[in-house]
Amino acid sequence: MSDVELDTGAVQLRASHLSRDFTTRVPGRFLRAKRVTHAVEDVSLDLVAGRVLAVVGESGSGKSVLARMLARIVTPTSGELELRGTPIAPKAKRDLAYAAMVQLVLQDPFASINPVHQIRHSLERPLLIHGAERARVGELARSVLERVSLDPSDRFLDRYPHELSGGQLQRVSIARALCVKPQVLLADEPISMLDVSVRLGILNLLKGLCDDENLAVLYITHDIASARYLADETIVMYAGQVVERSVGTALVDEPTHPYTQLLIASVPDPSDPTSIAPRAATAGVMDSSVVGCRFAPRCPHASARCLAESPPVFEIGPGHHSRCWLQEGNRVATPVLTTRRGKGGPTTT
Amino acid sequence: MSATIPREHEPTAVVDVAASAVATGVTRNEPVLEIEGFSVDYGVGASMVRAVDDVTLRLDRSRVLGIAGESGSGKSTLVYAMTRLLRAPGVISGGRALLHTTDDDGVVTPVNLVEATESQLRKVRWSHVSIVLQSALSALNPVLRIGREFDEVLKTHRKEMTRAQRRARAVELLRLVGLTEDRLDRYPHELSGGQRQRVMIAVALALDPELVIMDEPTTALDVVTQREIISELATLRARFGFAMIFITHDLSLLVELADEIAVMYAGSIVERAGARELYEAPRHPYTLGLLHSFPPLHGERRELTGIPGSPPDLADPPTGCRFAPRCTFVMARCLSERPTLRELGDEGRSVACWLFDPASESRVPVELSLAPSARQTVGEP
Ligand SMILES: Nc1ncnc2c1ncn2[C@@H]1O[C@H](COP(=O)(O)OP(=O)(O)OP(=O)(O)O)[C@@H](O)[C@H]1O
Ligand SMILES: Nc1ncnc2c1ncn2[C@@H]1O[C@H](COP(=O)(O)OP(=O)(O)OP(=O)(O)O)[C@@H](O)[C@H]1O
Ligand code: SF4
Ligand code: SF4
Ligand SMILES: [Mg+2]
Ligand SMILES: [Mg+2]
Repeated sequence: MSDVELDTGAVQLRASHLSRDFTTRVPGRFLRAKRVTHAVEDVSLDLVAGRVLAVVGESGSGKSVLARMLARIVTPTSGELELRGTPIAPKAKRDLAYAAMVQLVLQDPFASINPVHQIRHSLERPLLIHGAERARVGELARSVLERVSLDPSDRFLDRYPHELSGGQLQRVSIARALCVKPQVLLADEPISMLDVSVRLGILNLLKGLCDDENLAVLYITHDIASARYLADETIVMYAGQVVERSVGTALVDEPTHPYTQLLIASVPDPSDPTSIAPRAATAGVMDSSVVGCRFAPRCPHASARCLAESPPVFEIGPGHHSRCWLQEGNRVATPVLTTRRGKGGPTTT
Repeated sequence: MSATIPREHEPTAVVDVAASAVATGVTRNEPVLEIEGFSVDYGVGASMVRAVDDVTLRLDRSRVLGIAGESGSGKSTLVYAMTRLLRAPGVISGGRALLHTTDDDGVVTPVNLVEATESQLRKVRWSHVSIVLQSALSALNPVLRIGREFDEVLKTHRKEMTRAQRRARAVELLRLVGLTEDRLDRYPHELSGGQRQRVMIAVALALDPELVIMDEPTTALDVVTQREIISELATLRARFGFAMIFITHDLSLLVELADEIAVMYAGSIVERAGARELYEAPRHPYTLGLLHSFPPLHGERRELTGIPGSPPDLADPPTGCRFAPRCTFVMARCLSERPTLRELGDEGRSVACWLFDPASESRVPVELSLAPSARQTVGEP
């Protein structure tokens, strides 16, 4: 099936060439010795109404910095944001209107919900800040709890965070994000701290919000299987860069980048009894000062060229891109990658 | 205590991973650990929580037992209590934990850890049983260099060793887990999470124990590092023949790594079976739900349901089967009577669920009565 449909959903939030550097002092050297970490480098993406975009990558690959730039909590070093077609002035302060449109849900619900107040407070406060009538906030809070399947909502409103399970509390933090009727939901590892048995419930909730309420969802995870489950498009990040991306499940089903391949091979897979066999060599250090391919120190296919020259992004199929010299011979992709939708898992040829 | 595993444990049709791996010279079907009717409480009186409830388990030499279950099911409490590392307000309220220790002459002495004195415990810890704690990433003393961690253990238990010998042994152990000698002079914060976890595993192996307990050793690590550590553990076990208890909430990881799996729910074991049998033919509704909680890497994308509801509050557990409020197969009886872990005919496995009670009227649903596929080959290297 190669009829990959062109994007028809509305682009709610567009990021073009977003980068963020951090300058840190190198310990134990001259006082002025500094190191620049390219935490995120040249990432472009579209968050589209009714679609889930997943970002997968290991710890430190820049996923959270990316999400925080999209939420405008972290200022990009360079790059542009466009909210529903309107460019955002790069240095402008984040205003309430932006916050109302783009909401961020964090990994640890226990840390993100104020423990000393009842759930009611955590939901009503943002409603009041965003100008809801005081007489209506109770009703709004109840309805938002019902949307995240916390029923009966009255019972939850009067509880304290410690009286809820992790899964319930994560639903509360999603509810809090939904209070202000955002168009875009940025979920930074929303399930990794939760019990295994309740994770799917949260994933299905995100999927439902996307399908039924036309929300644009960014789903950040280090679990590539859950990305495959949920996402309409998936991005794999390594050391701040997008190394592979695809619509549908192509990226997991036919990974082309050696890092994506390593990631997939590492996932426990009981259906493959041989998968315990040792894999790639010991992880190398990820050093963003390298000139060539950032994955080269760990890559089993690295050549001299990989060490000297950074690979461009190659288009290897409809909506499928890979940043690896092995793909040379395919078309070099145009810089801004537009989101497309693959219905029912497109296959590349 | 109705959930006793027979003393003469028949070797089941379970895939034999360790046959080639026994380096200790003892036969595999000898137990290294037998836990019987083991219970642990936190607190007393009205606020008492029974975190581990009547657990019976047996682990044979050189085998890997996986314990799976979600947060709060009592996995850590079980192994902390069993090794007597439990702190107040936790108390062992019943049962015993027999560790069959082998001395240098091959003489086996059972030690009931529950009743052991502090000095007996000191002799047993590290030399016969070692444990890698769940919080291992923070378990290393931040102000001590890595080398000191090895030094402490070796100094206490191998008094005859000189400083140079201890250093040599530490280097050897680090190599086993793929780290270089220079790490010995580093501080914990100078190592990555994966490297620190490797250090903890190396320390656990320092005195060549018969049983190594790992409480979620890879949960905080990324999947690539986890894979590396898991394959290292498999290699080390094949080489040294220690038995292992491996705790995790990731059932799919256990299916790969363990010979046998015990699934815990709300303080009790609800199912125990060979790893592949459990994966291919789960018997308990909770096990089935857990297996359906991991989106697969292959195949059609279809909606998975996970398990509805959330784990029970142990301070106020449901009467009857503790899984009943979340169970799709719940029957009237489940709400009032609590099922115990029972052997399932001659299948060499056990389950705590009324569906499998011979006296039960209801038929076992088809999802829970699959035959394990006839897999006889050894999958692992
Ligand atoms: N405020 C900061 N100052 C300096 N460096 C930072 C800062 N925030 C992030 N970084 C660096 O940026 C890189 C990316 O971090 P980020 O938190 O985005 O990773 P991540 O992919 O979210 O990882 P995880 O899976 O662990 O959450 C890391 O190397 C991190 O050390
Ligand atoms: N110090 C304590 N006081 C009271 N209750 C406790 C204490 N420590 C643990 N518990 C309770 O005992 C139960 C079992 O906890 P335990 O840490 O053994 O679970 P676990 O299966 O290891 O979970 P996880 O996967 O989160 O590590 C939980 O319900 C917990 O709330
Ligand atoms: S460009 Fe070279 S080093 Fe980088 S991933 Fe491709 S083959 Fe490996
Ligand atoms: S005993 Fe009843 S409620 Fe419990 S798991 Fe079995 S069928 Fe479900
Ligand atoms: Mg992060
Ligand atoms: Mg634990």
